[in-house]
Amino acid sequence: MALASLGAAFVLLPVVALFVRAPWSRLGGALSGVGASTALRLSLEVSLAATAISVAVGVPLAWTLARGEFPGRNLLRAAVILPIVLPPVVGGVGLLVALGRSGMVGRWLHDALGIQLTFTTAGAVVATTFVSMPLVVLATEAGLRGLDRRYEQAAAAMGGSPWYVFRRVTLPMVAPQLAAGAVLTWARALGEFGATITFAGNLAGRTQTMPLAVFEARQIDPGGAIVLSLILVVVSVSVLVALGGRLTGLR
Amino acid sequence: MLGLVAAACSGTSSAGSAATSTLTVFAASSLTAAFNQIGPGFTAANPGITVTFNFGSSTDLAAQIQSEGTADVFASASGIAMDSVEGDPGVTDRSVFATNRLVVITPPDDPAGIASIADLAKSGVQLVLAAKGVPVGDYARQALTSAGILQAAMQNVVSNEDDDASVVAKVTSGEADAGIVYTSDVVAAGNAVRSVTIPPAVNVVASYPIAVVVGSTQSQAGTSFLDYVVGSKGQATLKDFGFGPAG
Repeated sequence: MALASLGAAFVLLPVVALFVRAPWSRLGGALSGVGASTALRLSLEVSLAATAISVAVGVPLAWTLARGEFPGRNLLRAAVILPIVLPPVVGGVGLLVALGRSGMVGRWLHDALGIQLTFTTAGAVVATTFVSMPLVVLATEAGLRGLDRRYEQAAAAMGGSPWYVFRRVTLPMVAPQLAAGAVLTWARALGEFGATITFAGNLAGRTQTMPLAVFEARQIDPGGAIVLSLILVVVSVSVLVALGGRLTGLR
Repeated sequence: MLGLVAAACSGTSSAGSAATSTLTVFAASSLTAAFNQIGPGFTAANPGITVTFNFGSSTDLAAQIQSEGTADVFASASGIAMDSVEGDPGVTDRSVFATNRLVVITPPDDPAGIASIADLAKSGVQLVLAAKGVPVGDYARQALTSAGILQAAMQNVVSNEDDDASVVAKVTSGEADAGIVYTSDVVAAGNAVRSVTIPPAVNVVASYPIAVVVGSTQSQAGTSFLDYVVGSKGQATLKDFGFGPAG
């Protein structure tokens, strides 16, 4: 009990300190001074886009990991999890040498197709997706592994095509895990910093998401940095509380 | 940060000729290469005192000194950051120990064809600067203003970086077409960048102040470090790394 209180206090203290130290008397000025609305809008766009891509690509990947029988599956799983344990700045450097304007693949994208990801919102989405996608893959794979496969077998025996079975039987059964994974992915995406600033750079309205805005505001306006941090805290907590209740209700 | 606290607390306890202490120096990131050479040089000249460095943006470092109070010496890339520390918690023995100038850098193959600072205003140039509030970022904006191209150049800015090292990284990786950093950064980067001189009329001379932080438990060792830095050996090393003399 004492340890639990200590744990809770440890997590809550920084948040409480942000509230206490916030320049409440000049909140409006601090908000407009650091471009909070621009950064918040961009953060929501980037994190939602990254979540959508992560689900679209991550669910098939989870399926492959859970059901596929092929050599190197464990290696593939380790590779998929890697972005969780890598420092995000390492991910950013990796993305630079892979997808940057003079990177392995990025050079071709740039020269042949005229596409440049660095310094663009698309680049911020790429960096954010790289870092946050593993969460939805892991959660969905765990869901698929825990599934009682007799339901799928029964549906298939009654003539359901594999796609039909996946859509009508498998997917609804792993929906809670998928949703939980998607929420975690989104939350991670909203907080993404290191890979984004390394790969996509930092420019208001284009690549400067909330965490980057906080980072830059520290230089000019520490009070503004606290206000920005608080907005991020409030948005994250609201969404996690709202969705968290629903998620546990599904279980 | 914890490591630094531990390092700062560990010194001065042992007695006798074998006494060792650790001096914690907070220094602007543009000083990284030069101070990493000055540190061992200082220890060689002052046996028993080892130096640990915390490099970062001067503005950040000033804020850290004010909230953590773990620095013995502060070497800043801007007078403003030093002024802030001088106000709280205070400094002693403040002096200017080096100067730095700005330079335009491009990747070696110069993809955007930058021949002078004026070319930074050409449309389509992907320019990277340090952020406003970071000394080298403020100086760069000052130089662009003097060159009369601030507005056009700001249209070309694709990223505002946290410090000069990050600007260099964006240029050496070939992602940005140009950046504005210190001449000392070019020495550190070597062949990885091509540099374009900014004429003196437009250039900004950055003065680097150094001082012992009030509240340091090692103010004596701190003063010795200052003496070493402004002395002939320290100055020679700084010159090797592209810094100008204090005067």
